Amino acid sequence: MDEMLAQFLIEGRELVAQAEDDLNALIASPNDRARLDSAFRTIHTLKGSVALFDMAPAGRLLHVAEDLLDTARGDATPLDPATLAALIAAIDQTARWIDSIEANGGIGGDAGSIADTLIARLRADEGNDQSAPSSWLSPLLERHADAADAAEAELIAFRYRPDPECFFRGDDPLAVIAGVPDLVALDILPLAPWPALPDFEPYHCSVMFEGLSMAGDAELRTAFRFVADEVDILPVPARQAETAAETVPGALQTLRVDVARIDALANGVGELIVAGNALSHVAAKVDRIDPRIGATIRAAQTDLDRAVGAMRRAVMAVRSVSLGPNLRRLPRMVRELAASLGKTVTFEMTGDSTEVDKGIADAIFEPLLHLVRNAIDHGIESEDGRRAAGKAATGLIRLEVKPDGDHVMIALSDDGAGIDPARIREIAVAKGLIEREAADALEDAQALRLIFAPGFSTAAAITNVSGRGVGMDAVRVAVEQLSGRIEIGSVVGQGTAIRLRLPLNAIMTRLLIVRVGADRYGVPLDRIAETVSIRASSIMAVGAGRACVLRDRTLPVLSLAAMLGGADIATPTAKLLVTEAGGEPVGVVVDGFGERIDGLVRPRAGILAGVPGIAGTTMLGDGGVLIVLDLAELVA
Amino acid sequence: MTVRLSDGVIILEGACLLDDATILLDLMLAHPAATIDLDKCTRLHMAVAQVLLAAQRPVLRPPDDAFLRERLAVLLPTVAN
Repeated sequence: MDEMLAQFLIEGRELVAQAEDDLNALIASPNDRARLDSAFRTIHTLKGSVALFDMAPAGRLLHVAEDLLDTARGDATPLDPATLAALIAAIDQTARWIDSIEANGGIGGDAGSIADTLIARLRADEGNDQSAPSSWLSPLLERHADAADAAEAELIAFRYRPDPECFFRGDDPLAVIAGVPDLVALDILPLAPWPALPDFEPYHCSVMFEGLSMAGDAELRTAFRFVADEVDILPVPARQAETAAETVPGALQTLRVDVARIDALANGVGELIVAGNALSHVAAKVDRIDPRIGATIRAAQTDLDRAVGAMRRAVMAVRSVSLGPNLRRLPRMVRELAASLGKTVTFEMTGDSTEVDKGIADAIFEPLLHLVRNAIDHGIESEDGRRAAGKAATGLIRLEVKPDGDHVMIALSDDGAGIDPARIREIAVAKGLIEREAADALEDAQALRLIFAPGFSTAAAITNVSGRGVGMDAVRVAVEQLSGRIEIGSVVGQGTAIRLRLPLNAIMTRLLIVRVGADRYGVPLDRIAETVSIRASSIMAVGAGRACVLRDRTLPVLSLAAMLGGADIATPTAKLLVTEAGGEPVGVVVDGFGERIDGLVRPRAGILAGVPGIAGTTMLGDGGVLIVLDLAELVA
Repeated sequence: MTVRLSDGVIILEGACLLDDATILLDLMLAHPAATIDLDKCTRLHMAVAQVLLAAQRPVLRPPDDAFLRERLAVLLPTVAN
């Protein structure tokens, strides 16, 4: 995808979410100046962003919305609820257009008339004051509040937008600006984000200017006399200068940084931890020669560990983002999906400000959307069905996010029809996913997990909403790729709850080193329920496989050596690593357990890419490479 | 010559006009690590200035000219000493 478009899809949605947030807050407290200012700025920025793409109707609509908010900032009277609703409708529509740009590359032929309707709605609510101050003035004053404050004379603001072709006419906009007398502030603003140098068109003027001058109106107009049609000149109202100055000290200092740079930093910290681990090997070697020097090295290593640990936390904090912006599209999608299915659904979301690693925040939206779709499509009954079942006609879907130690729990529950385990068994058997006896032997909770099996889909008829070939198994895989777990619970007639448990950060993985023959492998600790040693004789052959009894439960037993294509070594005691497959514990025999380490797991690449059961590789302190196993894939 | 390369530094001297923009752009593309010396630059055409703004190459020495230094060079990164 075009980099600029990709950036816009992210930023545009953030702005939409921010604007909706502000407007909703204004409905609750119409006199909130900070929210009004924020809504104005956000919509102003959004308007600038949409202007870069083929979505002129969106630009027109946002322009009217922006003017409306700017007028409200000048007036003392708060916006009335009807106006705010019209503004929210305009933002909702912009969000739909952004989705459409992503999906179809355009916003559709009807966009113009949709925009006209929404503009008419905005205008219908507009007050009598048609003399809206220009929308660029306030942001300019806010950017230069200090300079505006310090100015000894009255200020005049100007905005100069040179024609992109002006170079061919012999114009030099910078020379024009250099001729502006008593310049107090100047912004040279690119019309679009700067392209990469190879794509740069040097003969197109790609900038515009905004600035403040202490010169008189006449002097300023003289300076711009040859480009008068490209310049707006406005006196700075004293009151505006004051409010601008007030808003600045509270403004959050933020920096937009390319995620790749943060990732490079995170990788660097990861390598640093690995390099630090190497010191303990050195210390052990030196110990044999001179224990005092060994101790000195260890002390140095402790200091280093502390510093690196602090740095790691700092980097993780930088990568942490609120889930909110990623999830804020959900309420609107719920409204739309429910409407398209003729159902009414209330959607409640709590804890969406919980911060998680950016990689997780970005990756979780699709799986959650799928779960929400399922809940609306298969979970929530029709209004008639709900009344017949003695429930409120409006269904309820609730998304709860809360931190849980170094994990985040995301629970999605609905008060719909629930899932009948008997029906799940029938479908799984009919689709050949499981034998009849095995299905009947499953407890209900286990039977429910069958919906996560590849090839399972409960939709008898493929509906528009769900069932697009990305079943619940895709959701499970997505969650597991994030080192997370998914659980499902359901009560027929009462509803379904799905819980996701995801790590808050994903930089370093705790690994247990296991030995198989002469080889060592890493296993992520979060995949291991427990490690036990049992007598080898207590492992019995059961059918085609083997099993043992652990704390009165029968545990299927697999051999890691066999799974990796080697042979078992017979020993009197067997070391078992207990993991989980399909919600059930499974024992995996290994030859020995090693130390626990923090590793930076690199995804499998090159020749390893095609090998199933391998999660990736990590570097060991002694410089060796450890293969990290994907237990879930191995035992599946 | 108003725009030239010397020892890994792109030097802009005197009045850099419209046609210098492509020369500057070509030099930057050919020498991705080159820094910028504006010390002797007295005038920058907007076409040249916007190449500098887009590229954000570190400036080794800022221009003497007050307008260029205070209004343009401040928008560019400087070479860390």
